[in-house]
Formats: sequence, structure tokens, C-alpha cells
Amino acid sequence: MRIGVFVCHCGSNIGGTVDCAQVAAQAALYPDVVYATDPMYTCAEPGQAAIEAAIHEHQLDGVVVASCSPRMHEPTFRKTVERAGLNPYMFEMANIREHVSWIGRDIAANTHKAAELVRLAVEKLRQNSPLRSQEFPITRRVLIIGGGVAGIQAALDCAEGGIPVVLVEREATIGGKMAKLDKTFPTVDCSACILGPKMVDVAQHPKISLYAHAEIEEISGYVGNFTVKIRKRATYVDWDKCTGCGTCTEKCPSKTSYDHFNEGIAKTTAITIAFPQAIPKKAVINKDFCRQLSGKKCGVCAKVCPTQAIDFAMEDTFVTENVGSIVVATGYDLMDWTVYGQYGHGRYPDVITSLAYERLMNASGPTQGHIVRPSDGKEPKSVVFVQCVGSRDPAIGRPYCSGFCCMYTAKQAILTKDHLPDSQSYVFYMDIRAPGKMYDEFTRRAQEEYGTQYIRGRVSQIFPDGLGQMTVLGMDTLLGRPVEIKADLVVLAVGIEASKGARELAEKLRISYDAYGFFLESHVKLKPVETNTAGVFLAGVCQGAKDIPASVAQGSAAAAKVLTLFAKETLASNPQIAQVVLKRCIGCGKCLRCCPYGAIKSSQVRGEEKAEVIATMCQGCGLCTATCPQGAIQLAHATDNQILAEVDTLCQL
Amino acid sequence: MSALANEERRIVGFLCNWCSYGGADTAGVARANQPTDLRIIRVPCSGRVNPLFVVKALLNGADGVLVSGCHPRDCHYGSGNFYARRRLEVLKRFLPILGIDPQRFSYTWVSASEGSRWQQVVTRFTEEIHALEPAPRFEDVEPLEKALTLTQEKHRPLGVGKQDWLAKLKEAISDKLADLDCVLGWQQGRDLLHSVPLFIQSADDLQKLRCDATCHNNLVRYLPDFKGRKVGIIVRGCEAKSLVQLLQEGIINREELVIFALPCQGLLDLPLVEEALGRYQKLEGLEITDSALKLRVDGKDVTLATADYLQSRCLSCPNDTPVLADYPIGEFTGESATTAQCPELAFLDSLSLTERLGFWRACLSRCILCHACRNSCPMCVCRDQCIAESREPHWQSAKASVKEKFFFQIIHALHLAGRCTGCGQCQANCPMGIPIFALRAHLNRVISELFDGYQAGLDPKAVPPLLTYAQEEANIQERSWE
Amino acid sequence: MQLAYFPGCSAKGSSLDYELSTQAVLNALGISLRELSDWNCCGSTPAHAVSNLLSSALCARNLDLAAKAGADLLVTPCPSCLSNLKATSKRLEDAAFRQEVNALLDSPCAETLPESTSVMQAMAELVSCEELAKKARTSLQGLKLVAYYGCLMSRPPELMRFEDPENPMLMERMLTALGAEMLDFPLKTACCGAAFGIPKRPLTAHNCGRILELAANLGADAIVTCCPLCQMNLDLRQAQAEKAMGRHFGLPVPYYTQIIGLALGLAPKDLGLSKLVVPIDALLAKLSPKQDSLTSEPQSHNEVER
Repeated sequence: MRIGVFVCHCGSNIGGTVDCAQVAAQAALYPDVVYATDPMYTCAEPGQAAIEAAIHEHQLDGVVVASCSPRMHEPTFRKTVERAGLNPYMFEMANIREHVSWIGRDIAANTHKAAELVRLAVEKLRQNSPLRSQEFPITRRVLIIGGGVAGIQAALDCAEGGIPVVLVEREATIGGKMAKLDKTFPTVDCSACILGPKMVDVAQHPKISLYAHAEIEEISGYVGNFTVKIRKRATYVDWDKCTGCGTCTEKCPSKTSYDHFNEGIAKTTAITIAFPQAIPKKAVINKDFCRQLSGKKCGVCAKVCPTQAIDFAMEDTFVTENVGSIVVATGYDLMDWTVYGQYGHGRYPDVITSLAYERLMNASGPTQGHIVRPSDGKEPKSVVFVQCVGSRDPAIGRPYCSGFCCMYTAKQAILTKDHLPDSQSYVFYMDIRAPGKMYDEFTRRAQEEYGTQYIRGRVSQIFPDGLGQMTVLGMDTLLGRPVEIKADLVVLAVGIEASKGARELAEKLRISYDAYGFFLESHVKLKPVETNTAGVFLAGVCQGAKDIPASVAQGSAAAAKVLTLFAKETLASNPQIAQVVLKRCIGCGKCLRCCPYGAIKSSQVRGEEKAEVIATMCQGCGLCTATCPQGAIQLAHATDNQILAEVDTLCQL
Repeated sequence: MSALANEERRIVGFLCNWCSYGGADTAGVARANQPTDLRIIRVPCSGRVNPLFVVKALLNGADGVLVSGCHPRDCHYGSGNFYARRRLEVLKRFLPILGIDPQRFSYTWVSASEGSRWQQVVTRFTEEIHALEPAPRFEDVEPLEKALTLTQEKHRPLGVGKQDWLAKLKEAISDKLADLDCVLGWQQGRDLLHSVPLFIQSADDLQKLRCDATCHNNLVRYLPDFKGRKVGIIVRGCEAKSLVQLLQEGIINREELVIFALPCQGLLDLPLVEEALGRYQKLEGLEITDSALKLRVDGKDVTLATADYLQSRCLSCPNDTPVLADYPIGEFTGESATTAQCPELAFLDSLSLTERLGFWRACLSRCILCHACRNSCPMCVCRDQCIAESREPHWQSAKASVKEKFFFQIIHALHLAGRCTGCGQCQANCPMGIPIFALRAHLNRVISELFDGYQAGLDPKAVPPLLTYAQEEANIQERSWE
Repeated sequence: MQLAYFPGCSAKGSSLDYELSTQAVLNALGISLRELSDWNCCGSTPAHAVSNLLSSALCARNLDLAAKAGADLLVTPCPSCLSNLKATSKRLEDAAFRQEVNALLDSPCAETLPESTSVMQAMAELVSCEELAKKARTSLQGLKLVAYYGCLMSRPPELMRFEDPENPMLMERMLTALGAEMLDFPLKTACCGAAFGIPKRPLTAHNCGRILELAANLGADAIVTCCPLCQMNLDLRQAQAEKAMGRHFGLPVPYYTQIIGLALGLAPKDLGLSKLVVPIDALLAKLSPKQDSLTSEPQSHNEVER
């Protein structure tokens, strides 16, 4: 072989703590290495051009790049060597940035380690062989999990692009958190007015099939060919018959159900339609509050329903859908703020969450948009907003910023003044984070035009003063003195957390999630929409805190990824899959038993039983290779000989 | 390649691409300072890590090996790390019998987001390895020349020499012979003391049948060669287990087999008898009873006490009843109340780690690489494809070093993990008398500990424990670094 | 279990009534406590403000005395003493620190030292609320009380390990069992400003004023305390607080042991009620004998149960 080695300085990222020239000089002495150099930026255009030139000039048939993580630039360099006529798999990377230069300051030790890692890559490369992909057909349909604004955007973009969409929503209506909001920042336009038409588009689009009140039960398969089992949770109402007329909700005698849509600020009936603009506009029975379903005599809804849609015997049903790609847009939930004893553990009715406050301000909410105190129905004159409740608080294990609270708090303060002109609002904040377009101007308006008092500091305690008001104790860290404010209503900007069930869903999807349950993108900057599972994309807050514009943008971005994937009729398979050495296989079937994908079958070859890998199903985990005692099934690009070459390089006398 | 002299230790890491390699990247991005000793080999999944990679590294001078994968239930491939967890735990418990400090090997789980956890794992593992002495080079270990005394209390009456069922056996075989391609049995070999396999196809062949304490070949070893043909086979307790294991693995088919089962009367330890007799020209008579072996050798009568010349394994065998039989013939004594420990194992357990390594070094220096151990093993179904002799994959070099011989024994043992039925053929057939059965016996002990008393060869429907997993392992403690 | 009693300095001076009532109640409940002989200052004030080492050495000596007396648990009525005892135990886990402390002592302190706890927790541990209710002879029915724990009893939470640090309920449970109506008192763990009683008197007056005001707003008959310093601030300095808030409170501030003592039918003089600055007479007037105790057997105060 003729191998070329490129030891990247990555500016000072590597060059600062690794003697790259020395590593290259050492690499030149390794077996089969005919060319070694240490460019400043290997991944930049001139760097890649230099690799191509070197391949031609030195007739290289293999290339090693020592630079950053292969998880970052392996695909980049594979394309580079391919352009120069090499098979893309005749390439290896040594990770001397994340694994060397960034984690130690000792230049001698780093240089030694980098040289060894290059040697490892060279020895592995010497065992490489060219690999070629196969083409396989794909199902050009997409599953979108979650019908909030991000999922809606992704669904509409995919459908407009001609791709059939299966949209699955856990709640009875799509719209997500945005549907609950009154107005949106920084334009203070009505949330329902901008989201409503999109929801209607979803309902009417011929390419979108919507499963509301449904959840993902099981996912199998791989990019291009996923099989999804969907659980349609029982609604006890036959939606084919239900016209959404609402008669049942008027007559239902059980009027004490917790109202999830209104964040518990009012009670509702056991049979409900979440809100007038719900999509689908269908009734659902809350089993926990329904008299009939809890064994008492009732059945009023069934009697009044003009279409006989009520079905108390309904059970969960399952449907299976085949799709080629999946967009996850499962959003978020509010954290349980009642962990804060200093804010009363949730036992004071006039301390509410900002989302509940949205419902209070919303013209379609239970108070028709009149801001009143939950305790006595009186209009508040003094409203205190507390930011960062459950955000940026390492004491309760939530060090992250929830991103959009600064902005909506400003919006709520403005709206409070609009609704109640003689009211005074106070905002306790840690920092005002308003980096978006027209955002900082907006928070200034809240302060300067609407007279909201911004107090920089945290609130130490909130308690009723015994005379009908709440006392808010806090610190003004700018003035360096404690403050005490009498409030009629306290609104907590409660931090976000990953949606309930996010971890379980991640396991079904085989995608990763971070320490807080938010899904992990493939690369935090360069692949913010992709996951490490091919064909699965992320949109919205399920990946991390973001506001509506960012969620919509990511929804569109995910749709673009889906459309890119589906731009071709077929997909190229990953050639790094298991291959059976027929001569060595004795047909014992141990590999069949272990394969997580059922990608190995038994077949007869000249009368003998042999294992056969189904190329499109194999995902390249290599469990079979580790299982086969005689090494008859080898994972291409991670064969026994390749790993042995690495082990032997590190551990030979 | 050598580690930086006196400063670094040689530590090899196998990291799955999806979680732990990403976690190491995350640690890098966070500039999380770490010791520089570790060298990472990137693999697609922790399930890709053949435990033999780890042993190979440790035998060849690695001071420590760390495997890290996705957290259980988070495997990118669904179940790869579940298999890895079982196999690596077995490995961890196997290392001490070789004389390798199990602290040198660890496995853990780090997700792609857990950069700080990765930093902790690396730092702590590296510190632990530095706290140990540098790994001893196999070549530098003092060979421990120590003869084993394998005395063993007799466990149950063996009934050595009983032959009262022989006529009945021949009758049963004769009845079935017409329906069978052949029946596998034994016949006399070069003299009365030695037996060889007999493939009975006719009444004449049947006359040559011999079933006594000299018949030590495990005939199950030949069954895979007869796949597709209907054959009969004579088995005793331990051989029946081998047969069940092959059935479990689908190597042979039950409907192609007719099983004649005999009570075992124990097998002679032939090397011991031969040693007692010394060089002889002619063996004219042999009579075996429960108490004495009466031999006439070169015109002289020699009498030996039977109990002293039986294979220790037979003396400790708790049960002579075959687990599977079509035609049970003779009387079985059944299970004994107590179970005895393998004497080789008891001996090794009494040694220190370094002594064990030295013991193996001394023993295996006698190995002549005849591979009789493998060839006689009924579970070695790879046959001509054994990786001991292949270059694709190149597990073993052609260099006949003691270390390579030792590595071969480790390969054989690990390939038998969860499959070895303990017939002891490997050791019985070793012409150099190397107590290699101990490695298998220890693995059987480990498997039994980890998987609720599991023993290979008892249930044709069971799944070998290393070819399956449980999401929550009852007996494997998740190795945690918190 | 062997209990040793550490009264702390206030017990012998400013909070003599706390000490009297504690002893009387414990005696009535049949809990015997042996006072540590030759105990010294816990090091709370002002030693700990000057030197952690010195204040810990003072506490270490007390803990050592308890260990030598064979006690498993050192019990103190004063939250400030308790805080210092517990902090010392924690600091002594560090071998180097222990060495420094030992160097200051006449002889090194015992390897294993007893744990420390409050009288209130020990009492609740030994006598359940039901048992307490059974022993009551006077009903607290009709009394509206607020429980005030002060800032130290539950803080720092990881050291004190006392209930929900923001909302402890132990006094509420005991006094509810005895018939009192316990009002939700959000300021139950607020700071009374005691530490600034001398340098920043307005601050203390304001802090106390806020606590008193809330209790008055809620309609409480009294503020029940468990800390000598808090009690002194709220009671002795009530006039100052009233001046700061521009409002008259007249709220009695008894110790919880005094209230429990009343429920157990102990005599006011045994409970030191006369030591209270704001008179408690209005509250006493509301008390009536417990209905069922009129017929039940008189209870011996000396019965020893555990």
C-alpha cells in the first residue's frame, strides 16, 4: 500500500498542545506510509485540495487524516478521497483533537499519544478493503410525532413537497402549547390567529393523515423502511360519527374534571372538546371523571348525542404505518415547580404558572380574557412576575436556561397593563435574555412604555400576608438591598423540561437524549436537526429550549431533511455491514440468534446450511462477528483483523 | 509500541461509536482534562467487542482495558450492550483463573452527552491502573512447576466392571440396526487397555462392541459428521449432556438419533495406568472390578487399586443418569447428595494471581500444539475452520510461543463459555497431561453463579446464556463510577 | 437508647422558662434525660464568628463528654447549639481537622461521637402524637396558634435533616393532636434578625415585626417557638417591633414546651409562664379541662415507660 498521512494543526486547536510536525515526521516512518505532512487546516478547501493533489502525486491508495473526531469530519474526508479516485473506505481518521489536544496540556505526552493514534489508524488502514454501497427502495412517507407548531410546520412542508404525512398527536387536538397562548411576542399578535389557519390546513391537506389522542407503541426498521405501530387511545366517542357540535359537553353532569387545556385554572366536564378551534374538533371522555365509566349511572352524553357517537365500551386500538423517515417534535412540559417550598409548594391559589396566566388572559379561556385572581375572582392591581423558577437553578438539578421566559414575561407584563390599565407589574429577573430580532426593544417597551418595574434578583419567599395579598420577598441585587412587594397575583415563569415519555420514545427510536431528557442532535452546531439514527430528525423544543420562530424554522428544516432524503427513489445502503465467509460458516446459527435486526437468515448453499446477511437490514453493529466462534461472519470496516491490528499495535511487547 | 517510559501505563479502550466515543468527544469539546494514558479503539457497538480482544491486549502487555458502551436500554442497536454486559461480566470473572488481575479490566456505560462522566471514568480507571504494578510480562513470570495431586473422595458407587447389561444392550442395538445407518460404540484398540470408536453397521460389527472403563472417547463428537443420516449412539451421563447441548445449538437433529444410554462406571485415567505399568511389550489380560484392576503384563500379574486409577472427574461425578435416552439400559444409581469440586480448580484457587500465571506458563511450555484437546471436544463444532489455524481472521500467529499456546487455551475456553458440559475429554486426551480442564470448569462455575445455576447440556430447549440477555440482570451489578 | 442532655447557656439564663417547661414536660412524659456534667459553651456565639476551629473544639469537648458518659444521642433544646454540634460532627469527619481540634483539647476526643438532635425531635420520636393526646388533661381547643421554628432549626437542610426545610410541620402535628388550631404560617422558618440584635437594631425590629404582623393578620392567639433567641426577640423586643411597624400586637410568644405543658395539665409556675414578657393570660382564659380526662385516672408524673 501507499499511504499518505495528514496531521492537522486545526489552527492552534491541535497545534497548540501537539507537535504536529513531529507527529508527521514519525508517521513517515510507519509501514506503507509514503507521504506525511502537517497542514494548518485540513478540512478547509485548500487542505482538501492538498489531499487530492497528494493522492495523485504520490499515487496514494490510502489516506489517514489526524484531526478532529471522525464523528465530525469522516464523511467530509471520505468525499475528498473519493473525488481523487480512491474508494471512500480507504480512509482512516485519528482523533487527535477531542481525544488529545483538548484534554491535556503536556505537549510531550500529547505528541506521543497523537503519534500512536496515527499509527493505530495506519495499521487499521492497512487492513481496509474498498467497500461499495447497494441501492435499496424506500417508502416515501414520513411520520411526524407531535402536532405542536414545529410538528405542524414540518407536516405542512412535507405534504406540500408531495410526501404523504402520518401525524401522531398525544392530545385530542393538535396545536400544542402555542394553541394555549393568548398573544405572541414580539409583535403581540394573537396566537390563535396565526396558528389556527395552519391547524386547519393540516386537517384539510389530502396528504396528511392525522392520528390525535394517539401514541407511538413500537418502531422497527431503519432509514427508508420504518414500521410504526400506533396506539389510538380510547376516546369513548366514535370520531367518525362525532360532529363536534358540543351538545354533550353542555349537558355532561360531571363538571369537576381537571381542565388540562386551561392548566387547571377552571374545571371542565368529563366529556370535552379542548377548545373551539380544536383540530380535530371531536369530543373525548375523561375516564377518571366520567360517571358512567366509573361505574355509576349516567349516560347523559349518549342520550343527547345527535349522532349516537358515544361508545362507552371503546378500547385502545392499534394501526401500523410504514414510513421512510420520522420527524420527532414532541415539545416540552413545565417542570413541577411545587418543589419550591419557599414559593408555597403550590398551596397558594394566587401563585400561578405563566401558562395558566396565558389561559387567564385568553379571550377564549375560561374567564373570557378577564384577568382575575383564582382565589376570589377579583382583578389584581399588583402583579409580580418571577422568572427562572426551575431554570438556571443547579440546586434542583436544572442548570439550563428555558430560553423564552424573558420574552413572554415581558409580553405578559405588557398585556397585563393593556387589560388592567391601573395595575402595576413587577418582574424579578436574573438576566434579561432577549437576543432575537426586535426582542430587546420589546423588553425595553415593557419597562419604558408600560412602566413595568424590573428588579434584578431572585425571590426568596412568597406568602400570603393574611390580609388577602401575597408578600413577595426578594433581593434587588443592583441596589444591593432586600425588597418586599405586596402582590395580588404572582405569576411564575416556570422552567421547561422534556416532554413526559420523551426518554421512552427515544429508546423506541434509538436516538440519544441528554441528561435532562432533551433529544440529542447529531452535531450541536452543524447537524442540529439530524439524530445519530439515520432518517430520524428533530424539530422544536424536544431538542432543547426554543421559541416559536425557532421551532417553526426547525420544523421547516426537518421537513427539508426529509425531502432531501426522499429526493431519490432509492437509498444507498451503508456498506459497513456483516459479510459471511461462506467457506468458514458451519451453519450453527449463533449469529441468527443474536442479530438485533433479524438481518441474518439461514440459507442452503450447495446442500449446506449457511448464514446469509440481508444487506438492507443489517445496521452494522457487529454483534454477529463477536459471536461467531470461527470468525466466519465479519463486519466490513471493523473486521476481526482490523481490530486485531489495532490491538496488536498497542500491545505488542 | 510502548507507553511513555515510567509515566504512562498502557491502557486500551474499546468505545462504541454512538455513545461512549461521542461522550469522549463531548469531554474533549468541554476541554475536560484527562490523563493521557488511554488509547481509544472505536467500535460500532460494545456488542462488537469480542472478549478475546481484551484478553489479547492483556496478555500482550496492556496494563488495563476499558470497554464502554451505551447505557443499558439506550443501545443504538437495541440490544448490543445487553449481550456485551453478559459476555464482559463473564470475562471479568474469568480473568483471575488465568492469573490476570480482574482490576485491569473494566466495562461501563457512558452516553454521548456525558462528557464529565467520561472524564471521571477515564481519570478513575487510569488512577486505579496506576495504583497497580505494571502488568507482568507473561515471558517474565516465574514458571511454577508444581505437580497436581488430584485425589478425590469417591462420591457414589461407580459399579466399575459391571457388564450384566451388555447382552441387553446388544439386543437393543440389534433390534434397531436395520433402521439405522450405523450405531456409534467402542471396540478394543491396540491392546486390552485401549479402546477406539466402533461404527456398527452389521451384526459382525456388533460382536466387537465393548463398553467398559477403558472406553473414554466421547462419541458425541462424531455426531455432527452424521447429520442428515439416522444413527444410533451409546452414551453415558456426561456424554448425554454433550448430546443435549448439540441438540440445543441445532448442530444435530433429535429425529435422526436413537440413544442407547448406559450407567457410567467411571473411566480409567490411562496415563496414570500406563505410568504404573511402565514400558511393556504385551498386555495379555485385563480384568476390571470395583476394587481392583488385574492386568497380566509381559507374563507378570499386576494388581492395582481401581479407585486410584480412575479419572478424578468420574470420582466426583454426582449423577450417572443420562438426561436424555431412548433406551436406558442397566441400573442407574441416580444423584448423590453432595457435589464435589473439581480438584484442579481447588488447586488453582489456592494459588495467588502471579502463581497462577506462572503455573500456566510452566504447564503450557509442555504443550506440543497437537490440538487433541480441541479435536476430542464434542462442542468444538468449527472443526476445520478453527481460528487457531486461520489467517482470516488472524487471531493466532504461527509463532509457537508459550503465550500463543496459552492464548489458544483461552480461545477454546471462552468459545465454550455457557456451552461446556464438563465431559473432560480435552484434558483426558492431552498427551502432555496439562490440566486444561480447570479453565473450562472455572467458566462453568462463573456461568452457574451469574445465571442462576445454569448448566450446559441439561435442557435441549434452553438458550445458551451468552446467546441471549435479560434487560435487568439479576446477578450482574451495573458497574457504576458514580 | 442512652440520651444525654445539653441545656446550652440560655437555659441557665435568658430562657429559664424554656428549661423549666422542657424538664417538666419530659418528666410528665416519662422521658429521663441526664444532664451532661461539666458541659461548656457550644461555641455558637461569638466563637464561631471568629474561629471555626475554636467553636468546633468547644463542641467536640461536649460531644466527647457525652461519648464518655455512654450516650448514643446528645439532646439539646436550643437550635443554635444543635446547629453547632452537628456542624462539628460533620467537620470532624475530616481527619486533618480532627487532629487540629484534638490539639486544642486536653485529651483527644473519642473516635465515635454520639449523634445530636433536638429535644423536640427526640420527644416526637419517643412519644407519638396519639400517645401525647392520650396524656393530655387540658384541651387546647379554641386556640389559634402559629408555629415558628426560626431560621436555624431546618437549615442548612443537609446538615439539620429536619423535615421539609421550608415547611416543617412537627410542632403543628403535636399541637394539633392536643386540640389547637394550627394556622398555616409561611414565615415559620424566616429569620427573626437575632444575630443583628445589637449592631442593626432596626433590621431586627423589622424582621420581628413582619413575623408578628403576619401572625396577627392571621388571627393567631400566640406564636409558639422552639428557639431561645427567637423567643427573646419576639417577646422581649416586641415593643420595638411594634414601634417599627406602627402597630400594636400584644402577641404572647410561649415555647412549645410551655403549651404542651399546659395541655398536660402542669401548673403555670412549673412552666415558668410568669417569665413571658407579653402576658399569656388571655390565652390561659381560653383553656378548659379536656372532656374525657375528667373521668380518667389521674396520671402519675413519674411513670417511666421506655
